[in-house]
Amino acid sequence: MEIFDNLLLGFSVAFRPDVLIYAFLGCLVGTLVGMLPGIGPLAGISILLPVTFGLDATKAIVMLAGIYYGSQYGGSTTSILMRIPGEAASVMTCIDGYAMARKGRAGAALAIAAVGSFVAGTFGVIMLTLVAPPLANFALRFGPPEYTALLVLGLVFLAYMSTTSLARTLIMACVGLLLGCIGIDVMSGHFRYAFDIKELGDGIGLVPVAVGLFGLGEILSTPSKTVVGKVVPPRFAELMPSRQEWRQSVMPVARGSVLGFVVGIVPGSAHIIASFLSYAVEKRVSKTPEEFGKGAVAGVAGPESANNAASTGAFVPMLALGLPTGPVTAVLMAALLIHGVPPGPQLVTEHPQVFWGFIASMYVGNLMLLALNLPLVGLFVRVLQIPYAYLYPLIIMFCIVGVYLVNNSIVDVWIMLIMGLVGYALRKFHFDPAPLVLGLVIAPTFELSLRQSLVMSSGNWTIFFTRPIAGVLFAICGVLLALSALSWLRQKDWRERLAETETGKK
Amino acid sequence: MNLRRDHVAGGAFVLAGVVVGILSFDLPFGTLASPGAGMLPMLLIGYLTVFGAVLFVRANESPPLASIDWSDFRHALPVVAVAAVAVTAYTRLGFLITIPLMLFFLTFVVERRPLLPAAAFSIGVSAISYTLFGLLLKIPLPRGILGF
Amino acid sequence: MDRRRFVAGSAATAATAATAAALAAPPAWSQEVYPSRPVSFINPFPPGGAADVVARPLAAVLEPILKQPMVIETKAGAAGQVGAQFAAAAKPDGYTLLIHIVSISGFAEVDRLYGRQVKFTNDDFIPIARFIADPMVLVVNDQQPFKTLKEFTDAAKAKTNDLIFSSSGLHGALHLPMALFLKAAGVDMKHLPTNGGGPALTAILGNNSQVLCSSIAAANVHLRSGKLRALACFGAQRAPALPDVPTMKELGYNIEFYLWVGMFAPKATPENVITTMRQASKQAASDDKFVRAMKNLGQDVAYLDQPDFKAFWDADAKRVQEAVRTIGKV
Repeated sequence: MEIFDNLLLGFSVAFRPDVLIYAFLGCLVGTLVGMLPGIGPLAGISILLPVTFGLDATKAIVMLAGIYYGSQYGGSTTSILMRIPGEAASVMTCIDGYAMARKGRAGAALAIAAVGSFVAGTFGVIMLTLVAPPLANFALRFGPPEYTALLVLGLVFLAYMSTTSLARTLIMACVGLLLGCIGIDVMSGHFRYAFDIKELGDGIGLVPVAVGLFGLGEILSTPSKTVVGKVVPPRFAELMPSRQEWRQSVMPVARGSVLGFVVGIVPGSAHIIASFLSYAVEKRVSKTPEEFGKGAVAGVAGPESANNAASTGAFVPMLALGLPTGPVTAVLMAALLIHGVPPGPQLVTEHPQVFWGFIASMYVGNLMLLALNLPLVGLFVRVLQIPYAYLYPLIIMFCIVGVYLVNNSIVDVWIMLIMGLVGYALRKFHFDPAPLVLGLVIAPTFELSLRQSLVMSSGNWTIFFTRPIAGVLFAICGVLLALSALSWLRQKDWRERLAETETGKK
Repeated sequence: MNLRRDHVAGGAFVLAGVVVGILSFDLPFGTLASPGAGMLPMLLIGYLTVFGAVLFVRANESPPLASIDWSDFRHALPVVAVAAVAVTAYTRLGFLITIPLMLFFLTFVVERRPLLPAAAFSIGVSAISYTLFGLLLKIPLPRGILGF
Repeated sequence: MDRRRFVAGSAATAATAATAAALAAPPAWSQEVYPSRPVSFINPFPPGGAADVVARPLAAVLEPILKQPMVIETKAGAAGQVGAQFAAAAKPDGYTLLIHIVSISGFAEVDRLYGRQVKFTNDDFIPIARFIADPMVLVVNDQQPFKTLKEFTDAAKAKTNDLIFSSSGLHGALHLPMALFLKAAGVDMKHLPTNGGGPALTAILGNNSQVLCSSIAAANVHLRSGKLRALACFGAQRAPALPDVPTMKELGYNIEFYLWVGMFAPKATPENVITTMRQASKQAASDDKFVRAMKNLGQDVAYLDQPDFKAFWDADAKRVQEAVRTIGKV
């Protein structure tokens, strides 16, 4: 078995003490930067890139990749504890993770996130080991029409994103999609809604909006006098999920891993979309969809697994084809290039040590992260014991510093602050910001790929149905819409039950 | 007619739709075969206005406007004000001046914590973060006009 | 007497000169040696982008030369315009410098085209040095039969609708050379703009587009694996990496286009700062570590000092502006 020989070679590299140390450093730093609001994997890697110059290629890539998937683990921590997305892909974790924390299950949520991430990450690496080259060609077939179809699917799932009535959900989605239109239109060069601010050229970033709407909005509507009582330091057993919580998270983790990996291969900022899709899927298949938003275990387990699997999936086109499919893989590729190891079809044959060492180190890294994160759960939960009057100024500081750092842009910080106020107001009028964030993610890519497809087909809309992958995705969209229409006709669905409690005199 | 929550919310979104619509007038709409920069925004503005109107029409089912609890506004306002001042000052005065002052204002003035713990907290947190980010990780934190 | 007067006179002149110099220069205690604190390089593109991959190794070799930390500050946005605008407006003290690429010359022209206020022009910058200049190369993917540029142009003229070229974005660095070529060849072709060099390359590899103008560095891996085929190169001479690929000039098109990376200072930066940076850059450009890092990226260091760089940049700006006007407002 050639693959085992290769893996053996990989592990012989990955278990060298010096490589192990750098893998550990990467995971540790990744967890830390992932926890800070705003600073996601991209900023973390580019900040530490210079540090790796003195290292050889293997150590450098092992450390940088550790930062990448480590930050995916760390991102969930602040989401669960303070409703602040540590990085863009953990937006969905904010919703049910924070709700669990408010019910006193912060430890359980953190543990499930860590274990889910571990399972998904390991699944991703196994897939990467076994089937990377054929999958890479699949990634290439994913052109603009396919991307359009995927995002339409995302929009269809949008109806499942929120706990509020359909009209409210759609209003929020429209606002999000409109916010996503801000910036220079790639196709025609028009600067939409510029207000003479060049920083808006690439549109509004997801991070400032999410941090503002969720995190800052939460702080603004929580006066310190309402935060009563100290959380009693829980015992370790209470920190861990109960047997039932474990059971509830098995299937979501499995589904999230597969979905995340597949979506992750697709070029683009896929790990965000993966976590959104996973959340929607979990809610769709759940027997108790009304639990979502109020601390559903599946709402944490699914998206957290999906974004970790996706971050591994993103390595497929990079390693197998030498294609940077997203901002993070672009930095990793640049790092490899600078070290004289060009990623691409020849990587495996020309630098087997680097390639297999890197793959093996991901197995090791995921284990390390689990070992790092589970014991820390107890420590993280104690953060909530800091008196609120000191805790929230601290959070605001991290938000300002973190959001500024992403692009060294004060405009981003202003957007965060404004979005904090918007989030506060939305809460007063009973709107849920999650569909807004999804709209913001989808709008620019959706519009671009739709119009790109029409360029390719000279304005012929049948391109969306004649290409196989796009056709299948659109068929799924159609079936989903038909199913919801049916259940809506037949009986009151969960949404109406919700609408009743919402409008009724609670 | 007594004013209900969704009268205000729905009305606000209809109004927002109209305002953004006016802003988008110069964007070319394009054709179905070749959509212009204005097509998606215009469609979205249309939907936004319609859904806003739906909310407005069905507003009688929503709770009265007066039932919204604004008591936390007295907490939100000073926090936002302090944060806004801090953001304005952040790139001008730099990290080392702005951040301790902001923390001190929030803890001592807004939250009325005792002077000494508030001051120690503000200075300590700023110093630790500066050491961690600025010195250990070599992240460029904003420097102010005073050069640090 | 004469002689004594002369001596006295020259002594007096010397004394006057010294006094004048002492008066003109700020007092010694305030005269900073440049650099006396960390220098920021503005990287106007996302991490890992064209400017970033040059700036990072450059900063690493400049640090020991100037004995101060060199910090890369990413200010991405609007295809490099945000960072350039920030640098243009920065305090001209030599502590905020800009690393930018060929597209710096196009922003003012694009803004004029769309009737937007022009925020800065090339005159707002002092060029310091150019580090690399990678000639662009016109590539097709392996599903196309074309072996020469002529076969390609003939086919493109015959059935304009079947071929699509991708680019890094409207008026972007990968769009401009293609526009120049299409105009010179009299060909009309469909354009698939994407949001960056990576997506543009992905599009052609997936056969969603068929033609692309790429930098040699970005295309090289795929040229070697046979997924892409180079038809013509935009350099003045053939590129060392692609000795078999003819230049546009050889093929009868008077077009040159490079993806170059240079260092700029805001205008009104003091002369002594510029001189220090020029000397340091010169030393850095020949540093082994920098040369090796560029080699790894598939680039040769193509260093130009200020006067040559200025001349090159002026000529280049004309090309870029012409290309932007050729494309026009879409």
